[in-house]
Amino acid sequence: MNMQSCRLMSYLIMLVLSVVSVAAATGAENEKCLGCHGSKEIIGKGEERLYVDAAKFAATTHAMIGCTSCHEGVTPGHPQDGFRPPKARCKECHGNIQTEYAQSLHGSKAACADCHNPHAVKKPLSVSGDDINAQCAKCHDTKKIVTSHTKWLPQADLHIDAIPCITCHTGSTNYVITLYIQDRPAKQNHADFKVASYPELASLVPEGKDVRSLVDKNGDGLISLQELRTFNREARKKNMRLWGMMTPEVVTHSYQILDNRWDCSFCHASGPKAMQTSYVAFPDQNGTYNRVAVEKGAVLDLLYGTPDFYMMGSTRSTPLNIIGALILVGGLMMPIGHGTFRFLTRKNRKEH
Amino acid sequence: MSHKEYIYLTPMPVRIWHWLNALGIVTLCITGLQIRFPEYVNIFGTYKSAITLHNTAGIVVSISYGLWLFYYMFVAGTLAKLYVPNLEDLKSGIFRQAFFYFFNYFLGRPNPHHSTPDNKFNPMQKAAYLMIMLVLLPLVILTGILLMNVSPLRELILIVGGIKVLVSAHFLIACCFFAFLFVHIYLATLGHSPFAHFKPMWDGWEEVEDHH
Repeated sequence: MNMQSCRLMSYLIMLVLSVVSVAAATGAENEKCLGCHGSKEIIGKGEERLYVDAAKFAATTHAMIGCTSCHEGVTPGHPQDGFRPPKARCKECHGNIQTEYAQSLHGSKAACADCHNPHAVKKPLSVSGDDINAQCAKCHDTKKIVTSHTKWLPQADLHIDAIPCITCHTGSTNYVITLYIQDRPAKQNHADFKVASYPELASLVPEGKDVRSLVDKNGDGLISLQELRTFNREARKKNMRLWGMMTPEVVTHSYQILDNRWDCSFCHASGPKAMQTSYVAFPDQNGTYNRVAVEKGAVLDLLYGTPDFYMMGSTRSTPLNIIGALILVGGLMMPIGHGTFRFLTRKNRKEH
Repeated sequence: MSHKEYIYLTPMPVRIWHWLNALGIVTLCITGLQIRFPEYVNIFGTYKSAITLHNTAGIVVSISYGLWLFYYMFVAGTLAKLYVPNLEDLKSGIFRQAFFYFFNYFLGRPNPHHSTPDNKFNPMQKAAYLMIMLVLLPLVILTGILLMNVSPLRELILIVGGIKVLVSAHFLIACCFFAFLFVHIYLATLGHSPFAHFKPMWDGWEEVEDHH
């Protein structure tokens, strides 16, 4: 090992050590804060916002930078000193998003924290489509949304159930189909299906086993079409179903009414090639979702790949098209085949 | 010497229903083509126009089917007589008619079936129309109604086996109707003159050529 390599190695070791020690210090510091703020008793001493759900907070990126990165100036005498530690402004770290958001239709209507609790914030792909829409529904009444969309959108209720609002109302891109396991109480056959929670799914697998094994039977981290079909066949008996939503991979905060979304063909004429990618999203204990990739093209499967998810025009099945074409050819055989013989034997009928 | 005789074969309510139904089915087939293959077929401008027209034509065909059923069951009372093949039809009539279409016709031999108002359809027609009017059309209407109301009728869709089962059934039956159109129009030209069978569907009267 030469001198230069030795130096590089020592830098790397120092870097790793410093990251580990900062993380350890941050963790210890967070624990100190959460000693009081992680207990619900604090709600009685002040406001509800003083309470931080430790499990949810631990799952956020914010936990890594530590409480005092945003709440500077906490003194050793806190809280008896009467000093109220300030809050950092989101734009100090998320400047680009703030700029984009401020220019959007939504910018003047809601602050960042109205939608994103900084102590429980999740990455976009870790949130379910339902959870995204639940945020919107805090201000936008779902019934009113359905009514307003019904004016121009056929089956608006179905669309709103299957598409997060941000899919159409932000400049988000790269759409995929995300499937969620939904269930309903065993003896309530007419109750609405709801996205199944982690405890509900955990009760269906042997103790200690991952909930993902409900669909990904062989645990290889990829759900094959066969595994998907098997799950769907079993799900029917257990009052469960896989509910598909068209979700964006890249989200933006440019809230707007996009002109091209008035045109149904934006989604419905994108062709089967655009609908090849899908995932099953499983909840975990923290309320976040982990996606497992599904074999390409599963959404286009004839019947049991996604028996409850179909997008007109986009998720049509090719084998079914072939069967349909054969039926048409069968119909055409009559005029073509019979017509040919009819023409060739026309003289026989002239005699009568 | 031959003289021309006419019989009143198709009453006006049936003719009105037939052409309304024909327009509806053709509209449904073409709009359906755009709805399933929007990247390749764009006849009605936007996708939404195709959907709206498809739904409207679907409702028109459903209502006209209801009227047709009501007329034949309760007004004319001839549904069973005209549309249900009898034992004789099943034992030999269908084969005799098929033999005519695929063999005797080419030799110039006469059609074994002669239409009368009480026995309008030949045994093959009876079997085909029975299948179409009492099995396929009700099925395509039912699947269509479910597909038009996915959220409100979700429970029924689950009983059927899911939306994919519905879409597949709706599409395949639609293909059968599309295929039937070719066969139906072609067979209608097999009268004693190419337009002999079209005329009674327009004015009700069919010309019967009587040889002496």
